[in-house]
Amino acid sequence: MIKILFVSNIADTISKFNGIFNKNTYELTCLSDENLIFDTLMAEPQDIILIDEKIDNIKNLNKKIKQICENSIIIFLISSDKIDKELIKFANAFITEDMPEDLITSTVNINLRMKNSLEMLSNSNKDLADSLYRLNALYDTSSRFSGTLDKAKLIQYMIEGMDKALSFSLTATLSLCTDDEPVLILNSLYELSDELISAIKFRTILNYNSVFENKKAPFELNIDTLKVVKHIKYPANRFTFTLFQYDNMFAPISLGDDFFGCIEIFKELSFTPENATCFQTIAQQVALPLKSATLYQELIETNAKLEKLERLKSEFISIVSHELRTPLTSIKNSLDILKSGRCGEVTQSAEKFLSMAMRNVQRLSGIINDLLDLSKIEAGKMDFHFAPANINTVIGYVKSTLSELAKSKGLLLITEEAENLPNITIDCQRLEQVLTNLVSNAIKFTPSDKTIKITSGLVNSSDIHINEYFKSQITKLEGEYVQVCVEDEGIGIAEKDLLRAFDKFAQIENTLSRKEGGTGLGLPIAKQLLEAHKGAIWCDSELNKGSKFYFIIPVTKVEQLV
Amino acid sequence: MKKILIVDDEQDIVESLKFVLEAADFTCYCAYNGEDGLRLAKEIVPDLIILDVMMPKINGYKISRLLKYDNKYKNIPILMVTARSQEEDKLIGEETGADEYITKPFELDEVVKKVEQYLN
Repeated sequence: MIKILFVSNIADTISKFNGIFNKNTYELTCLSDENLIFDTLMAEPQDIILIDEKIDNIKNLNKKIKQICENSIIIFLISSDKIDKELIKFANAFITEDMPEDLITSTVNINLRMKNSLEMLSNSNKDLADSLYRLNALYDTSSRFSGTLDKAKLIQYMIEGMDKALSFSLTATLSLCTDDEPVLILNSLYELSDELISAIKFRTILNYNSVFENKKAPFELNIDTLKVVKHIKYPANRFTFTLFQYDNMFAPISLGDDFFGCIEIFKELSFTPENATCFQTIAQQVALPLKSATLYQELIETNAKLEKLERLKSEFISIVSHELRTPLTSIKNSLDILKSGRCGEVTQSAEKFLSMAMRNVQRLSGIINDLLDLSKIEAGKMDFHFAPANINTVIGYVKSTLSELAKSKGLLLITEEAENLPNITIDCQRLEQVLTNLVSNAIKFTPSDKTIKITSGLVNSSDIHINEYFKSQITKLEGEYVQVCVEDEGIGIAEKDLLRAFDKFAQIENTLSRKEGGTGLGLPIAKQLLEAHKGAIWCDSELNKGSKFYFIIPVTKVEQLV
Repeated sequence: MKKILIVDDEQDIVESLKFVLEAADFTCYCAYNGEDGLRLAKEIVPDLIILDVMMPKINGYKISRLLKYDNKYKNIPILMVTARSQEEDKLIGEETGADEYITKPFELDEVVKKVEQYLN
């Protein structure tokens, strides 16, 4: 029904227009009293207001009408072609009394259609703005989701996102992510009585059980023990049981077989289909980060376990080593006393066996020291005494200590030291340990009449050539390095074993070299010691041709190392 | 003859130390736990004590501390012997006033040399 208000006090005109708009589609109201006009307009918006120009005080009336009904169409009925300029401001259209009837109706209808189109446009605009707002809320929420791996926070962000997008009266969120036990989180506009909370709990448990209709639920929920956390926005007001007459929606928060909780949302006004989509989207969107968070948490836990295991292992090695030292000391002391002749003369063959026993005590003690070193490095308890020094000093020292050993095996130990090497910040004792190990290995694995060469030099990071096996491990080289190389003509290392050479206990698994003795801890220790120097170690080797072990130490200042 | 008290729960080690020290003309007294060690130290007032760290009843650190606290005994040199070699243990040893710190396994001759350094 199209509502038309005709403002006129001329009986003829009124009767004429009554005649025109007497069909069912129109409802014509004719008024001339100002107060009645305003009362009517306030009570019921009119689609079209037809104003007779001849009515008294038309200008004021006009202004007031326009104020009350912004969206109505105002058409003036004029008697001549001359239009008052003032009226043009207020009018949507003009008709004259002498216009034919169909022209009048068509003018009214055209304006009506225009009004409808405008209304539709404005509605679409409003919808568009709404959608945009919801989209924004969704976007906001999803970007917040990606910002955390804290499950309790994710649930909180989800609820806040819902509030922003849907402005709910109450959400009841069952969260299996907040604590060890399930928690019912109530976000409510108004205060909730205990009875009402019990009722909400009951609903939630029913909803929860409905999700697991044919399956076993991860938790058995009990209305008496279910923990409740409530957040009330305006505690001065209270919800009553009419809350359950509100429009509501429910969604489980789950991904595949992983169930994180469920959410029920209440709103006094009804939800639109867009609201429903938005609700489902947010509930679905939160599941993925919750899953990631779960995996992350598991990862952290596994990591902690592994770390603990690693620590236990280190401690175990440390304790065992200490326990081994005591009996070893007794053996060593006894041998010392026997060998000193203080218990009687030592025959030549007895001396031979005593020496053998002594040698093996030394070896055992070396192994224990290696084990202790490694467990200390791994536990971060190794103390370093860094000081500026020239690497050639270390090379010289190692050469003088091991030359005899090399000679006894028929090997030649030579050095080729670069002159004018800059001082580097090192722990001389530890590097001596590294170099001694490398040279001892070379002596151990090289047949007689061959040469072992130690070289030193200054290299730029761009000139360092690391073979493909070690490339992935040694990265971020920058600036200048002092490089030391120990080259032998020994049995070499097979390609497949190259990388493993620096693994703990690698030699123990390697049957070929096992007869040569040792724990296989020397190289892993060397690697760790060099890493503590911000340096690196690697090797080039060819089976039966020989090996080249390289290590590098950066030329840096002391502060940078610390 | 100078008196040396050897305190170690490891009898074999006490035995070997006693052997070489007696051979070097010292009189040795032995204790195999911390309590006996402390009692003996107060009873005989030795010229030097060789003290193990990890022992039943009272550990070496505590014995050292108790003796160094007492004016009557504080000038007795203490050689602390232990299987532990971690730096922090060494620090604790130093704080307790031990005069020397020896790590197992040790050279018997070196112990004798050190004892002689303190007593001659």
